Amino acid sequence: MKKSIGDNMIPKEWGLEKGLELVKRAGYDGIELWLGDMPWFQMSTADADVRELRRKIESAGLVVSNVSTGLHWRSPVSARDPQVRAQATRIVEREIETAALLGADAVLVVAGLVTEEVPYNEVYQRSVEALKALGQTAARANVRIGCENCNSEQRFLLSPREFSQFLNDVNSPAVGLHLDVGNIHDTGFPEQWIELLGSRITRVHVKDVLRHRGRCGDQSVYTNLLLGDNNWPAIRAALTKVGYDGWLVAEMEARYRYAPDQQFFDTAQAMDRLIAGRL
Amino acid sequence: MRLTRRQFLGCTAAAVPLGRWRFGRHSAAVETTSKWVLLDPGPHCRLRESVSGYEAALGARLLRADAQSSPSCNVLIVPAAFEIPPAAVRAIAKCLQAGGKVILESGAWFASEAEFRAHRRVLRDALDVYVEAPVPLWRPAEPGIPYVDFTWPFPTKIRDFSRVVPLASQAGEVIARVGGVPAALRRRTGRGTLVFLGSPLGPALWAGDVEARRWLEAVGGRTQGNAA
Repeated sequence: MKKSIGDNMIPKEWGLEKGLELVKRAGYDGIELWLGDMPWFQMSTADADVRELRRKIESAGLVVSNVSTGLHWRSPVSARDPQVRAQATRIVEREIETAALLGADAVLVVAGLVTEEVPYNEVYQRSVEALKALGQTAARANVRIGCENCNSEQRFLLSPREFSQFLNDVNSPAVGLHLDVGNIHDTGFPEQWIELLGSRITRVHVKDVLRHRGRCGDQSVYTNLLLGDNNWPAIRAALTKVGYDGWLVAEMEARYRYAPDQQFFDTAQAMDRLIAGRL
Repeated sequence: MRLTRRQFLGCTAAAVPLGRWRFGRHSAAVETTSKWVLLDPGPHCRLRESVSGYEAALGARLLRADAQSSPSCNVLIVPAAFEIPPAAVRAIAKCLQAGGKVILESGAWFASEAEFRAHRRVLRDALDVYVEAPVPLWRPAEPGIPYVDFTWPFPTKIRDFSRVVPLASQAGEVIARVGGVPAALRRRTGRGTLVFLGSPLGPALWAGDVEARRWLEAVGGRTQGNAA
């Protein structure tokens, strides 16, 4: 397995080059690029600038593990307004286009957002329809779409069986699961998701969670790797069981009040122990 | 070609004796029994999932047609209509003349102001239906009750669609309201009945809403024999 971390962890005032140097020095193999988060990678970033971005990343001794985005929280593929849906589709298409330019073969999509206003069944239907079409686009570009399990935030696809059914309904080999092992604590156990969906996992986001905080309080449930309640030995065993040997991508909250670069090192070391099974 | 309101009303009024003459009571009943036709607005449809919803609910019983072919039918469904071209207006008039029902869904929920003005004009001029600008039903920090309350053909609740195109005061019976806003209208027109929906049924049908399907079946069912 290889280690990656999101470019949105780089302190904004650092800039890309200094950030890449830190990522490399901390021991990562690659970087996850978040479309729309950082000034160097926006929807408006031209192809030539994306190619230049790749050159800088490779010059730093890294590769792009995958392209992600948080833009679908504002523009979900499940929106009722057709214009919002068209924008959501365009975002995924741009992820796919840029992934191909960056030499990556996976993108992350938050597929569907259930709200008080837009109910579950509508979200399901629209998400399946959108992903069917986008799956064809992705297949043509040799890219896989990983739908992330943002269980509690999305209020959607809350169990691994349901997620499996969703992927069956999409019915595209180019559409799978971008598993986040830190998003399952309210509704289940990540090792069971890995076991049920193993071959369909495109990437794995890692972070740890503090179950006792729950979702209703005003404090984040997330914490650094090995500090929370995820059963990491079980997660590691499940990854071995299903033969997952792809990217592990750290998706952390920037929590360090001082020396923010230290979080990159600490996270990389924890990931090394997870990969080595020294837990 | 454009059909004016006067032409439309004249056409449907004149159709009463013409319809009897052409079909007769018995044959008309046979001709219109269990026939659902969906008039596909094609590029004029603002919400394809509405088309999918009616198709999912009615399955093989639904005949899909374009405005040019305009087959005779018991219930004519015009989903998520935005612009309504003259051929579609003629198909609507033909169905009403024959004593059928027309379910006409507005497709203007998310229209811009200019687009909505065009939509309102065609409804007024061609179909004598008067609507107001779309109203958002959901506001931040204001929990909503997500249902449209129908009173006809039976009282039921069907999911709203975030916005509604309200009906202005006009002839006909308001058959649904959402948050006090008139959201659907039923009106006898010629021998038939026009049902105008300012809040769409199609997406609820697509999502498998049982009440929406019951509502649709009830509207169709009542057309068989004696149109009400």
